[in-house]
Amino acid sequence: MRRVLFTVLSLWLAFGSARAQSATQLRFCLRSEPKTFNPLLVEEDSSDTVRYLTGGVLVRLNRKTQKLEPGLATDWKVSRDGRTIAFTLRPGLKFSDGTSFSAADVAYTVQQMMEPSLHSPIGDTFRSGEGATESKILAADKVAISFPAPVAGLDRLFDQVAIMSASSAKKEMAVLGPYYVSENHAGSYLMLERNPNYWRQDAAGRPLPYIDSIRLDIQQNRDLELLRLERGEIDLVNSIDPEYYEKLVKEKPALAHDAGPSLDSEHMWFNQVPTAAISDYKKAWFQSANFRRAVSEAINRQDLARIAFRGHARPAVGIVSPANQFWFNDKLRPHPFDQKSALQRLQKDGFRLHDGVLRDVNGHVVEFSIITNAGNRYRERMATMIQQDLAGVGMKVNVVTLDFPSLIERITRTFTYEACLLGLVNTDLDPASVMNVWLSSAENHQWSPGEKKPATAWEAEIDRLMRAQASTLDDHRRKQYFDRVQEIAWEQEPFIYLVTKNALSAISTSLSNAQPVVLRPQVFWNVDELKLAPEVAATR
Amino acid sequence: MADRLLEIRISADYPNKPAVLDDCSLEIGRGEIVGLVGKSGCGKSTLSLALLGLLAWRGGQVRGSIRLNGRDLVGLSEGEMRKLRGREIALVLQSPMSALNPALKLGTQLHEAWKAHSSGSSEACNRAVGEALENVSLPQEPAFLQRYPSQISVGQAQRVLIAMAILHRPPLLIADEPTSALDIITQSEILELFSKVSRKLAMSILYISHDLLSLASISQRVAVMENGAIVECSPTMKIFRDPSHPYTRQLIRALPVIPQVFAAPAR
Amino acid sequence: MRRARQLATVFLLLVALASAAAGFLAPSGYAHQFRDTPDASPSRQHWLGTDDLGRDRFARLLYGTRVSLCLAPAAALLSSLLAALIGGVAGFCGGRLEQLVLAGTDLFLSLPWLFLLITIRALLPLNLPPVTSVVITFMLLGCLGWAVAARVICSDAHLLRNCDFILLARASGLGGWRLLVRHLLPNLMPIVYAQFWLSIPIFILTEANLGILGLGVSEPLPSWGTLLRDLESCSSMSHLWQFAPLLLLIAAVSCFHLLVVDREFPA
Repeated sequence: MRRVLFTVLSLWLAFGSARAQSATQLRFCLRSEPKTFNPLLVEEDSSDTVRYLTGGVLVRLNRKTQKLEPGLATDWKVSRDGRTIAFTLRPGLKFSDGTSFSAADVAYTVQQMMEPSLHSPIGDTFRSGEGATESKILAADKVAISFPAPVAGLDRLFDQVAIMSASSAKKEMAVLGPYYVSENHAGSYLMLERNPNYWRQDAAGRPLPYIDSIRLDIQQNRDLELLRLERGEIDLVNSIDPEYYEKLVKEKPALAHDAGPSLDSEHMWFNQVPTAAISDYKKAWFQSANFRRAVSEAINRQDLARIAFRGHARPAVGIVSPANQFWFNDKLRPHPFDQKSALQRLQKDGFRLHDGVLRDVNGHVVEFSIITNAGNRYRERMATMIQQDLAGVGMKVNVVTLDFPSLIERITRTFTYEACLLGLVNTDLDPASVMNVWLSSAENHQWSPGEKKPATAWEAEIDRLMRAQASTLDDHRRKQYFDRVQEIAWEQEPFIYLVTKNALSAISTSLSNAQPVVLRPQVFWNVDELKLAPEVAATR
Repeated sequence: MADRLLEIRISADYPNKPAVLDDCSLEIGRGEIVGLVGKSGCGKSTLSLALLGLLAWRGGQVRGSIRLNGRDLVGLSEGEMRKLRGREIALVLQSPMSALNPALKLGTQLHEAWKAHSSGSSEACNRAVGEALENVSLPQEPAFLQRYPSQISVGQAQRVLIAMAILHRPPLLIADEPTSALDIITQSEILELFSKVSRKLAMSILYISHDLLSLASISQRVAVMENGAIVECSPTMKIFRDPSHPYTRQLIRALPVIPQVFAAPAR
Repeated sequence: MRRARQLATVFLLLVALASAAAGFLAPSGYAHQFRDTPDASPSRQHWLGTDDLGRDRFARLLYGTRVSLCLAPAAALLSSLLAALIGGVAGFCGGRLEQLVLAGTDLFLSLPWLFLLITIRALLPLNLPPVTSVVITFMLLGCLGWAVAARVICSDAHLLRNCDFILLARASGLGGWRLLVRHLLPNLMPIVYAQFWLSIPIFILTEANLGILGLGVSEPLPSWGTLLRDLESCSSMSHLWQFAPLLLLIAAVSCFHLLVVDREFPA
């Protein structure tokens, strides 16, 4: 009797684990419901995640090496004039629903993308001039796409273009990526199944991806998401904050991952809008590079990183994070903490420090306020630390935290502020993505938005260099221009860059092959190579 | 009766209850104690409120005339009426415990009542209060005045109320069922007090009660009220010996008969 | 009870003295950041350890006590007085006025105050000294916090208005303000006190939450509110000393309560 029971038990166990192995499931959370499954209309994070997991792209930017790799295209070539790109496609591929893939699908996708009535945000990144975009099908596996004007970084942009089927009845739900959307329970969760027709194989010839399905739970509450991670209900959290990271290190160190400096930085700037309602003598301070450099040198960035971010940040250098391997100007270093040098710079402008109070050349006491958004503990900490640092050179700083809408109102419309502390989230490596900040006419040119003409010589020079890099096709020449932009920004400091935050993530120990990186999606960028340990799979 | 203090001839209504007083007429002489008897809800308390000009405050309306010392009170302004209350007409209520402000010390309440009409020095005030207390046989020491209403007996409380009422020596005192909440011994003491005070201060009293016996022991005349009107008003002896109105007869018949065993020796 | 009251008095005096003498007692200023020892445990140098920026928790607690212990009761007093005045008058006068005031209170409660506060922040200059900012905030809280209390007080005053002792006070010739202040208000005091004590901790916490609008105490000045807000980030129970501000708040409010309950007249 006992033997029979044992046999049954072991059979059941064997069956159980066998079944589990044949149905591994990766789980993680989306912050909100995806607004669209049409890859061309993606705007927000959740849709972007679904596009990354399901979409097949012609070329893929390797998130780790930051280099382009073949995707659906085995080979591609940008013409000398920068207007045309020709792709050679992988033969014999099929969409998830079995429809076969050919150059016609690429042409169809590009035509849809550039269709003005669709208002595709990705399409906008390709729009460089007036005129029509043409796709020429040269053969079943060859296609050439011509744009009306040269597009900088043309090949890279195709990393965002998921190819849609021209003929499938399932329309955008027929995909070429590692997974396809199988169930959508609105407001609750999404199920993604392994795409049996996905083109990639591992070195041993096994078809990828390894994991059979992905369950994406819609979870707005950050704390609940972290709780579910600790309970083992989900396998990864793409990005966590330093405080939670520290907690994880204490309690479950195996889960915590620090991928080093990310692309995101924190910075502050002074209001230089000529029409702003602040007194003229203050405007004069803010418009002086000596003043800005002095403030910058009086701030102890090491301390900001060490205390405000618990060590999970680094003193920032400038516009580009060192994490951006190709575009970062490696001749630049973070501004040193040197209050003596700061005072010397201030003296050049006639400022005098007396009894711990700094006065300008006309005797005005140097006092200004820094606004930042309320509820962000890290920024509040930084602001308070900056307050103490600047007291060291006799500046009196008032920290004001505001709710986000009021803050935005102040920095974009009324310009009723003196200094602001905020962060920038970068998702793109290419300098083209910061044109909307660094051109003096740009709306995001935060210290003085939408200038009719450049207010200063150095802004004019940045305008010239930014335009030059945008109309140049050779990446090395573009980098020369952009390096110079970084240098000017470093010298003038319209933005005082403070720290570059580290990319922190949490990954379940049962997930193997995970190599978290700084580029989005940090943890599952190589989703087709991820593996789940069998014992975890068995419990599901 | 020649020296009339008060002549009333009024009707009164509440918004949802018309003719609470229906052409009710009554006269009170100087120094006279008049009893007003009637069952609950017949309009006795309405009459007392009407005399004080406080009916409007409860939402009621008065028509007719109330002549006090020849002056018509109906139609006087609230300010003029306020000057009369407490000085010309005073009130003693049924339940002494709820009529005293629980949050105030006895002394404070007496002082407040005094200050309502006199702006003299605090000595004058103390003297008046002391006199009033003496008249009602209450201790005059400061410790007593420091007490709160919850710290004294019901009988003492009623005396405090009477003291408060006679503070300004008003010619007319309205006693609205002043003894119905008291035990029988205290009741007789308080009745005694009323007649004493009336004699001493030459004060008229309108003594309202549903208890014909207690009323008979102090009143010179008794008025009988039914459905908002005075149906009979005669000297006390006449009411008992020769009641003219059927309702009065009914009241007399309803009086408890003193058992023979007690009554016999009295003969 | 008496023993408890003595202890409460001593405790409050000690707290008040300690916060007044913060300059001598605290090992350092409330703003000084000991950057080498952030988040330190209690030690001889830092009795309650340091916060996330390395500031001495004990010093911040003392200075925060000074701010909150002065301003929160002041704001609570302001709002309770407003509530007593508005609710008391409305309930006492009754009728149209009461309906009007109640409707006004409902309207006041339903207004989107967040927008008003945002507007006020927009009107204030950004370069406000922290002390001015916190004083303005508490005064705002005082001016805005009366509505709920006023409703409660109004309904109480309405009940009192029909009490015998108010009738008697009127019959004694009292009226208007004197009646309201001397007779009604003392009876409303228990409920006003209750509202007062309820609003102190509420104001302390609201002040902390107003920080997100740029109102309230601004860095680096501490208040109980900001100190309590720090607890939000406290994820483990292992650092018990971090809960000192919470304990102090509870202790102080309970002590105040002990002292005040006794001051009420014996019920």
